[in-house]
Amino acid sequence: MEKMTRVSGTVSGCTMFCHLDAPANAISVCRDATQVVVAGRNIFKIYGLEEDGFVERLNLRVGRKPSLNFSCADVMWHQMEENLLATAATNGAVVTWNLARPCRNKQEQLFTEHKRTVNKVCFHPTEVNMLLSGSQDGFMKCFDLRKKESVSTFSGQSESVRDVQFSIKDYFTFAASFENGNVQLWDIRRPDRYERMFTAHTGPVFCCDWHPEDRGWLATGGRDKMVKVWDMSTNRVKEIYCVQTIASVARVKWRPERRYHLATCSMMVDHNIYVWDVRRPFIPFATFEEHKDVTTGIVWRHQHDPYFLLSGSKDSTLYQHMFKDASRPVDRANPEGLCFGLFGDLAFAAKESLMSAPQSVGDVGRKTYPGGDRRYPIFFFKKPDVTEQFAQVSSALSVFESEAGSSVGMDWFINTAQSYLLSGKPFAELCEHNAQVAKRLNRPQESTTWTMLRIMFSEPANPSLSSNHNLNKSGNLPLVNSFSMKEMSAALNERNKENRQDNLHSLETNLNNNDENEETEGSEGQAEYLFGDAELDDDDLYSMEHDNQAAEEPEYLLPQEAFPLRHEIMDHPSAPEPVQEKPESPHVSGSEAESTCLTPMESFSLISVSQLLFSPHLPPKFFCPIVKEMLCYYAEQGDVQMAVSVLIVLGDRIRKEIDELTQEHWYMSYIDLLQRFELWNVSNEVIKLSTCGAIMCLNQTSTTLHINCSNCKRPMSNKGWICDRCHHCASVCAVCHHVVKGLFVWCQGCSHGGHLEHVMEWLKQSKHCPAGCGHLCEYT
Amino acid sequence: MGHMLSKFNVIGPLAASRLKKKKKKSREVHTFVFTSRVPLSRSVDDKNRMFVARSIAADHKDLIHDVSYDFHGRRMATCSSDQSIKVWDKGGNGEWTCTASWKTHSGSVWRVTWAHPEFGQVLASCSFDRTAIVWEEIVGESNDKQRGQSHWIKRTTLVDSRTSVTDVKFAPKHMGLMLTTCSADGVVRIYEAPDVMNLSQWSLQHEISSKLSCSCISWNPSSSRAHAPMIAVGSDDSNVTYGGKVQIYEYNEVTRKYAKAETLMTVADAVHDIAFAPNLGRSFHVLAIATKDVRIFKLVPLQKDSSSSAPTKFEVQVLAQFDSHNSQVWRVSWNITSTLLASSGDDGCVRLWKANYMDNWKCTGILKGDGSQVSGQPGALSGVLGSATAQSALNGATGR
Repeated sequence: MEKMTRVSGTVSGCTMFCHLDAPANAISVCRDATQVVVAGRNIFKIYGLEEDGFVERLNLRVGRKPSLNFSCADVMWHQMEENLLATAATNGAVVTWNLARPCRNKQEQLFTEHKRTVNKVCFHPTEVNMLLSGSQDGFMKCFDLRKKESVSTFSGQSESVRDVQFSIKDYFTFAASFENGNVQLWDIRRPDRYERMFTAHTGPVFCCDWHPEDRGWLATGGRDKMVKVWDMSTNRVKEIYCVQTIASVARVKWRPERRYHLATCSMMVDHNIYVWDVRRPFIPFATFEEHKDVTTGIVWRHQHDPYFLLSGSKDSTLYQHMFKDASRPVDRANPEGLCFGLFGDLAFAAKESLMSAPQSVGDVGRKTYPGGDRRYPIFFFKKPDVTEQFAQVSSALSVFESEAGSSVGMDWFINTAQSYLLSGKPFAELCEHNAQVAKRLNRPQESTTWTMLRIMFSEPANPSLSSNHNLNKSGNLPLVNSFSMKEMSAALNERNKENRQDNLHSLETNLNNNDENEETEGSEGQAEYLFGDAELDDDDLYSMEHDNQAAEEPEYLLPQEAFPLRHEIMDHPSAPEPVQEKPESPHVSGSEAESTCLTPMESFSLISVSQLLFSPHLPPKFFCPIVKEMLCYYAEQGDVQMAVSVLIVLGDRIRKEIDELTQEHWYMSYIDLLQRFELWNVSNEVIKLSTCGAIMCLNQTSTTLHINCSNCKRPMSNKGWICDRCHHCASVCAVCHHVVKGLFVWCQGCSHGGHLEHVMEWLKQSKHCPAGCGHLCEYT
Repeated sequence: MGHMLSKFNVIGPLAASRLKKKKKKSREVHTFVFTSRVPLSRSVDDKNRMFVARSIAADHKDLIHDVSYDFHGRRMATCSSDQSIKVWDKGGNGEWTCTASWKTHSGSVWRVTWAHPEFGQVLASCSFDRTAIVWEEIVGESNDKQRGQSHWIKRTTLVDSRTSVTDVKFAPKHMGLMLTTCSADGVVRIYEAPDVMNLSQWSLQHEISSKLSCSCISWNPSSSRAHAPMIAVGSDDSNVTYGGKVQIYEYNEVTRKYAKAETLMTVADAVHDIAFAPNLGRSFHVLAIATKDVRIFKLVPLQKDSSSSAPTKFEVQVLAQFDSHNSQVWRVSWNITSTLLASSGDDGCVRLWKANYMDNWKCTGILKGDGSQVSGQPGALSGVLGSATAQSALNGATGR
């Protein structure tokens, strides 16, 4: 057949539909794409395709009592003879219709040779009088329309025939698909046996379609939800593409003019029509989602026009779909995946074409394509074909691992959790220890907070002795007790909040700094200090303002106007300083004055009442609201670790100030974090030290250890260390013969064991039990 | 076009050197230094380098739609349009190895997510094929072990949706073993496994109809008893004429139903991803949204008397809004302390956002997509300066 002229320009229209009287089973268009026939159990009509809608042209169901011959399973419009139609009836009849007949009844021929439903009829693409049928009874028949009976019968010897299709390029060949999953190729001249047979699907093959251009490409669709493309031109039939759809495939039709595209619809569940690019078998290229019930027939409107698709459905509608109105699932599919890992790692997967976009595109301040979709690399000056782009796609996966010791990592959290002391020592020592830990981990704010807490809540009786002693050793907190509190607060009150915080912060951090107290430059601008953990950019933000930053620790400078320092304090750090303004108040010790230098949040509120500081005895209770505020601040900054640690260390001093629910919330959050990092010991310690009922019961759920006495090897029944049978201590280390406190490890076989480190040491040298019982101990 | 050309000139040498680099094997680990414009006294090695990029040959045959770390950060799952899920385990040397790869759905797999390890090694996935599936890893009884492959078996298939299931998330652990899905037809479904030992039995507890095509969901992770279970739903409905593309539903103890507590009317563009920040003891909630831009919302619950059955009222504040991806933003993800937000967009970059103490959010880093480059200091830089800095970073990297 000579190739028709391109018609894409001449065929026009829009997405449109019309209601049918009954569900459609099949549709077919005539060659010039002007009319469509719809056939079903109770419908057999011809519609004209107009610009703006369907127009009913002819109803072929005539007669008062339509016979079963009208109940169509399939219909086909002859592509050579525009008046000729064939239908397959559910009662096994094959009927041809001639629209040129003058009377109302257009029925021309009736073949009643099949015993069961005829699933498919197919005209030969070039031979006018040749018609092929495939039936549920397992036979295919070839009819010559000039004769009353079939010319030849083909027995598939398989099961029911679901589809028959003449090859478009090979005159004598047709393909048939079967319910048992086979596809057969026949030569029309040889009814005795098939040329080839292969198993295409598991389960029924509902449909097949020859590629309009590629000789030998056959697409098949089956109940196994697959569409497969086979290359028949080779000696062995080869599966070249496989598309997995989400429901059994009822129809498959190659898209005209698009070599790799085909349209499918499904038999149940899914009502959509998909157009696939077989090279990208996972995402539909386009989807038509109009139908409300199963789509039963799809056909491209014109055999050289890829833009119009007609479909009939069980929902009794006939649709014309425009390709430009199709939804494109790939546009909605997101091309990137991103996830933050526990340790600050970032996993990132993205479409490769996104990432090959030129580098400076990402830079701030350059709006290269305002609002545009830069999904495609711009160094393709000519945009490549959309369909080509669709087919070639892949993602790159990479993990950005947070560098050890970098600020995005979570090492600080683990280190802090493991190093903090929460109990077991006097309050002041705990604070001091924790301050040291925080300082070592380069977290000056937390360090200062601990120090402040120690000062605020230490016994007023021995304020300076022990603490100052510690201070001298550690050297991290020189005493600043000699500046004018009045002046300071007055100056501060005039400033806006931000500046106040900055300056206060400078003041506070200056306490950490043993050098250069008299330096007065810098810090006029906004020193953007970020509180909280994990500073990403503190280098940057500091160094913007403090160019002279040279020491290992950042230096914070006092603005002169706010804090006039009366004298150098470095030289006498340990002795309580006489207070200049109020020499008559003898009780102001160094530590009390220090306590004004709090973390920025609380210091602000403290300053406003700074007069009170000079009263001789400041009860620790005085600080509770401030400390509470501070804890909330830490929690809101995401540092629940600090909040909980302080809560535990302060214990009763603060507990009543914070409502139970909040405490429980903090505990839960912190414990959850610890467990994420698999810090089980710390988590357990926190649970043990907590005072919330809901938390404490977390580790009181029934955990039972069954142990044997290492001496008599009987199960230990009573609580305690002494076996009630042999009256020996059951937990003696077999290596050092001391009673084990702490981690006790024992062999489940012989019940002997001891200190973890001793047993580990022992097992390096010997496999036998250290107790000498001869057992080959196994520790897991 | 002229604009484009001039731009092309600017980036020309960079692109060339980048291309040269790309020819190297993809398994190679690139190390990049995060440089600052200001001379620094600290040793460059310990503070300035933020990330080491390690690219992984994922070998998915189509787009990867989601990556997800497990609870402890040692395993990773990827899902792709090629209908498969891969599980990656981190070895002692930091190398990620694929320990399982299997075909899961009969359509694109949009999302994969891990359950809390208390419930076992459990994954849930959702797909274009209208299902969500719960998977469990089986230890032993498989000869795959020799190949270093673990075995994942399907525990249940949730088939209630009539359209593509666009997101699946496990509820926070304290709520038990619960799973939420949302679908393109706008239905959010909440399932519960009444017996945590039996992963094959899930009952549909709630069906919330959001009226808009849903694209993403996020549970409020707060474990506080003061916060009722809450879920945020984002819609990718493309009609920008009306807002409210993010809806927040809250469980009501009295009615035992989820009721809409808040609609973010200011969000009018399609929302692609949504993420509550880890709560960590906060009294309020922070929500990041990926739409045309990155947005961060703060939801402060207002006091309510506990007797009323009305949903909690919130004071909604916009903390930040960034359009520096210049196009669609596809993903947002919080770090564990909720101090850092990462976002990725159509520009192929990952941007990191951080707040200072004033709650001013700023960009603190840009990571180029294929891991080939980490460029820094975006905040105040002009474009030219930015590329110059990037170039020096790049040169440093190639010299390494």
